[in-house]
Parts: sequence; structure tokens; C-alpha cells
Amino acid sequence: MKSSGPNTNESWWRQYNYWHETVLAMLIVGLLLSASVLSPSFTTVKTQVGLSSDMWELALLALPMTLIIITAGIDLSIGSIMALSAVVLGMTFEAGANPWVAAMCGIMAGTACGVFNGLTVAKLKVHPLIVTLATLAAFRGIAEGISLGRPISGFPASFTELGTGTFGGVPIPGLIFGVLALLFAIALARTPFGLSIYAIGHNPLASRYSGLPVARITVAVYALAGTVAGLAAAIYVARRNTAKADIGTGLELDVITAVVLGGTSIFGGSGRILGTLLGVLAIHQTRKFVGWYWDREELNFIVVGVLLIAAVLLNRLFDKKTK
Amino acid sequence: MPPLIVTHELGKTYGTVRALGGVSMSIDAGEIHALIGENGAGKSTLINMLSGVVALSAGTISVAGKPLLTGSVPASEAAGIAVIHQESTAFAHLDALDNIFVGREPRRCGGLLLDKPRMRAEAKRLLESLGETLQEGLALSALSVAQRQMIAIARAISVDCKLLILDEPTASLSQRECQALFAAIQRLKAAGVAILYVSHRLEEILALADRVSVFRDGTHVETRDAKGLNKDDLIRAMVGRDVEEHDRGVVTAPGAVRLSVRGLTRAPRFRNVSFEVRAGEIVGMAGLVGAGRSEVAATIFGADFPDAGSVSLDGVPLRAGDVRAAIAAGVALVPEDRQHVGLVLPMTVGENLVLTVLSSLARGGLRSLSAEAAVATEQMKAMAVKAASSAVVAKTLSGGNQQKLVIGKWLAAKPKVLILDEPTRGIDVGARAEIYRLIRRLAAEGLATLVISSDLPEVLGLSDRILVMRKGSISGELARAEATPEKVLALAMPQEKPQAVRA
Repeated sequence: MKSSGPNTNESWWRQYNYWHETVLAMLIVGLLLSASVLSPSFTTVKTQVGLSSDMWELALLALPMTLIIITAGIDLSIGSIMALSAVVLGMTFEAGANPWVAAMCGIMAGTACGVFNGLTVAKLKVHPLIVTLATLAAFRGIAEGISLGRPISGFPASFTELGTGTFGGVPIPGLIFGVLALLFAIALARTPFGLSIYAIGHNPLASRYSGLPVARITVAVYALAGTVAGLAAAIYVARRNTAKADIGTGLELDVITAVVLGGTSIFGGSGRILGTLLGVLAIHQTRKFVGWYWDREELNFIVVGVLLIAAVLLNRLFDKKTK
Repeated sequence: MPPLIVTHELGKTYGTVRALGGVSMSIDAGEIHALIGENGAGKSTLINMLSGVVALSAGTISVAGKPLLTGSVPASEAAGIAVIHQESTAFAHLDALDNIFVGREPRRCGGLLLDKPRMRAEAKRLLESLGETLQEGLALSALSVAQRQMIAIARAISVDCKLLILDEPTASLSQRECQALFAAIQRLKAAGVAILYVSHRLEEILALADRVSVFRDGTHVETRDAKGLNKDDLIRAMVGRDVEEHDRGVVTAPGAVRLSVRGLTRAPRFRNVSFEVRAGEIVGMAGLVGAGRSEVAATIFGADFPDAGSVSLDGVPLRAGDVRAAIAAGVALVPEDRQHVGLVLPMTVGENLVLTVLSSLARGGLRSLSAEAAVATEQMKAMAVKAASSAVVAKTLSGGNQQKLVIGKWLAAKPKVLILDEPTRGIDVGARAEIYRLIRRLAAEGLATLVISSDLPEVLGLSDRILVMRKGSISGELARAEATPEKVLALAMPQEKPQAVRA
């Protein structure tokens, strides 16, 4: 996590802590530069804002996922939580509630799903991969069941602004994401909660023996993922003006890819919000450019796969110095 | 007849630490040769050398006159040396037949199929030679420890076994199972197999062994004929070193009762454990490995739930099974395994030192980095931790410095009761002396201290009072003035009196 200290024999670049982020940022800049040469219209602000519209759910979910992966956990169920939250939102709205009240209900449903995941992991000691693999199916099943697969639409324009509106030229989902990213970054870097998350990821037993509230923190990170999934669901519903049980399918894998690409160790203990931001950006830009320039959807998957493996190898290269 | 196994000047060092040195001994065919010594005396190292698990740093081993290629498990196996460990390393999901023959099953039809009938017949013969019957089709996990042990022995003798090493074979056997095992050992002896028998149970050794070798502090002290020896002779031989002078210094009269443990039970690890530790008092807890001492500590600390009994601090009962409540009340535990339980090794020295006080140092929900740095600097100074700065990763520190870090992290939390579990295990002499000084100073400042240690000179030198545990209960208490190594060991050693049959 930290470099090996101010040993005079070590040159500055061995002590520099942000190699992963730096290289990733350079990659993104390189990509954008080449893109601006190949297709100048791709790098205009207008195009970028337009292309960003479907990035925000992924970006939002990557924040709590970073925390979860730092605790050496994983959450595969976030896409399904999104679906369940969206369905709760839609049905509450359909029953006559104010859309904002409906959105709050959706977020609460998402939080409840997250708390369920967290309690099962922390109290029943079931591996998070198993727990969330099960709830990945279960939450979507519930969403399908209660909505009968029926899309719900007809939200008022005042609500759809949440997904489509801009404020000072910035999309509203982007603003929400910015505020949350800042809060998550502060929580991780500057609060007891954040340091405890790292400690738990490295060594849950020693954390427990040091008096850290391991169970409570574990529940909290999964609950946060549920809350943010509920929020992402509200944004998605507002953007598409549709609540349906099939939203967010497969999103969890994109989110995990972005977080790992951002330098968070899948084995827990290390990672930063800054890295995750860059991971999200790298995936988003690569995808959009491939789609924009070659107009071939299937290339996306290959490019993202190559990026991910490259990032993991990169991470290992810079990790060596602390090993 | 020349001896079967001859070792010449065996030595093993790990870095600068000598685990074993100058071991020259011999074992005859058809002999039961016992190996005794305190924990850490070097018995396991010798076993590992004979079985090829560890490479020698010095010396040679010969088997039946031929030099053994050391440090190679296959070479030791080929020479006919087999080890039966306390917890056998068998395949729990396979049955007796498979376990006996795994890796060298008899084949038929050109090697395509297992020759089950031959396996069956052979296994039956082997087990019967040990006085056991073959139970086919039952997974090992469904059998008793004793049955599994017999299967392990059968596997060992299914190839030409010249030396059978038994490491604490009776540790978890009942009286009757012990008798069956002793009978099997006598049969093997009669068949000319040499047995190296490692045990803490001295009565067993006196009843069974032909000769006894004593290890102490990594050296081979002596080998004697077992005939005519008694238990006291063995204990004296195991302890017989000059107990290092530990100056306890001025012992102030202990204060009020701080920690009170009443009838604490967590079956089957320990039962009905009661004791008190007063302010300013150092209480030692001695006993063999596995006597339940660490488990008692973990239960007091709230890491485990007791079945019965209570722990109170300054008269206020602690919530059972709640580490955070115990810490909040003022209990601190320096655990036995400092690397995996005591510290978060990949984190920095500073982060480790503030882990116990993280939330109390925070201001308005945010970490106060300056307050954290102050605590870290203070503890590093107080503990004399040798590290370039608090930003150094804990993993890079030496064992002694890591231990100081664990103690420091607890002192930051200002505890009332400090429990130290094997505080100096694996720590070099210099750091050890520092840790002793520290423990004494803390006691003088009024901390109630419980020191669990398998190191007799350590317990004797540090403690005002010594509790001895044996098989999960407190077998006795010795005041500082009356405590001697012999008395402690006599209370720590198992008390069974098996009537082993002498051949």
C-alpha cells in the first residue's frame, strides 16, 4: 500500500505511490490524442457529453465496488439490485406516489438488498462470491416476479431531468457522481472507516483482534453498494423513462473490470478511488471510440479484455517493489 | 550388530538462529528409542532431518552403513524411514485401502486397472500384523484417530520400513487405544523395525522404551538406557540447564484484583479455569503446547465464546465473546501468532500502531493524521522500535521489532490488563531482554499482566506467581519463592499411567 519509506538508497521513482494511476492516465491521454487525429469530432465536448450519458450508472457502482473489493470481497448482485430498485420505484410511482418518493423507496429497497448481502457475508460467514451469486439470481427473480416483466413508463419531465438534464453544461448524473466520488475518496483516505477497510482486506483476523468492528464495516460496504445501486436505478429510469426488470443485466462485470483496471487488488487491501475513476474512464473511452470509429460492437469486448489483462500485469510490475 | 541409523554431528541453523547442533546418536534395528525434551528443544528438527523435510546445515546421517542423501524426502523414503505425525496427512475422503496404497497401487490388465483383490488381501495382512481389522469403504474421516493412525502405520510398513518415527502418537488417544498402539509397536519391534518414539508422556516412555535420548535447547544432552530410570530422572535431564538469572527487581505489593476469571469453560479445550490477576502483578501461565492456555487467553479477550464461566475486570463482568467490549474495558492481548493475528503486516508501522485507537483519535469523523503521528512516534520511542520511520511497512521489520509493535499498539490503548501469549517466541536474545524489561516496567506502573509461555526460564524469571495448565485445566499454582523448573514440569506433564507391555 505504501512505499518502503525514505530509504536514501531508493530513487524517487521507487517511492512514488501513484504509478498505476499515472500510467493509466497516460494511456487515456494517448488514446484521446490518437482519437483526435483519427476522428477529430470524437474529442469535442459535445460528443463527449453525449457519449457519457450511459456511463454514469457504471461509474456510480464502481465507487462502492472499490470499497468491497478492498475488503477482499465482491458483489455480483449490483445489477440485479438495480433492477429490483427500478421495479420498486416504478410500481410505487404507478400506485400513485410522487416520483421522488418512489425513487426514495427504490433506494431503500436497494439498501435492504445490500444489508442482506452484508449480513450473510459477515454473520453467516458465507463467501461473498457465493452469497452475491445467489442474490444475483434471486433479486432479479424477485424483480421479474413482482413486475411480471412489464415495463413501467410515463414519468413526468420533472423527474426524467434527473437522468437527462444538465446543470451548467454538466449532465446531472455526472454532478451526482462527482459529489459521491469525492465523498468516497475522503471516506477511504481520511476516515477510520477507510483505514479499517484496508486493514480488513489485508487481514480480517488481525483486524478483529485489534478491536475493529469487522462485521459492522462489512455490512456497511455491502449496504452502501445497495444504496448506490438504488440511486443508479433512479438515474437509469429517469434517463430512459422506463422501469423494467431487465435493466443492469451483466453490469456487475463491467463494474468489476473498471475497478480492477483502476488498480484495486482483487485479493483485497489496496486500491484507491482515483484509480477507479481512471479505470472507469479508460473503459468508457476505449469502448466509445471503438464503437465510434469502427462501428463494430464486438470489438469492444476484445479491447476491454486486453486492457484488463494489461492493467493487471502493470499492477504486478509496480507491486514487486513492496514484495 | 552395527546400529541401523547413525547420525554424526547434525546441525541446523536458520539464519543466525541455531535450531539444533552437534547431534550424534544411533538407533538400532528392533529398538524402541524415545526422544524427549521441552517444546523447542529440537525434537521436530531432528525428525524433519531424518525424514528429509529439512536440509542439514552440518553433519551426516547413515542408514545401515550407507550414507543417506539428506534433505530429500524421496531419498529418506527409499531408505525406509517413515514418520507418523500427530495429525496424519492422509486423504480424509478416501478409505483405508486407498490410503494405504495411494501412489503405489498394485495394478492389473497392463496397469490399466487397480488390482483391488490384491490391495484388499495385502491391507488385511498389514492391519492384522498390527492387531487391527480392515474396514473397507469407510472414508478416513469417519474413523477414529486411533484407527487412522493404524492405517498410517500400515501404509508405512507396506513398503520396507526400517525406521518408524512416531511423533506424539498418543496425544489424542484413549487409554484403551494407547494399549492397542503399544501392542502394535511391540510387534513391529519384534519384526526388527527401529522405532523413534517422541512423547511428552514420561510414564509411557518408561514403560515402552529401550533407550531414551534427551534434547535440550537444540542440543543432544544424553542417551541412556531406559531401564532403572524414573520420571524424576527424565524431568531433571530435560530441565537440567542453569536457569538464566532473571532479576525481577523490587516486587511491589500487588494492588487490587483487576482480572478475575471464574469457572471459564470451553470444551473440549479447557474446563473450569479460575484465577485472578492483581494490579502490578505478573502472573505466569506455564504448560505444554496444547494444554489450552492460548484458548483461555482468546476467550478472556472475547475472541471465542465460553460454554460457561465468567470474566470480570475490576469487578465488572465482561460481555462474553465480544472483543470490542473486552478492549473497551481495558483488556489487551498480544497473541501468539504476531504475524497473522497481532499485526496487519502489509500496512505501515504507524497504521498498525493506531489501529486500536483509530476512532478515538478521529475528530469530526475524519482521521487526525497529526494525532495519529503523535501516537505512533510516542509508541515507537517507548518501545524502542527500530524502523526508519512510521511509514515503513511492518512486514519488513525483524521479529523482535514486530513484537514491540504489537505491544506498542496495545499500550496506545492504555489497557488495564495485558495478556502476552508466548511474547518472545522466535525472538533473538537482545530483543528478548528488552521485552522482559518492558513487561517488568509496565507491571511496576500498575498493569495487571498475564504471561503465557512455554519457555520455563522465562516463566520462572518473570512471574510473581505461576499457574500451570495441563490438558485444559489448571493443575497447580506455585508462588515465586517455591517455583522450580522440576515442580513446573511435574505439574505440566500428563499424568496417565499406561500399563504398557514390555516385550
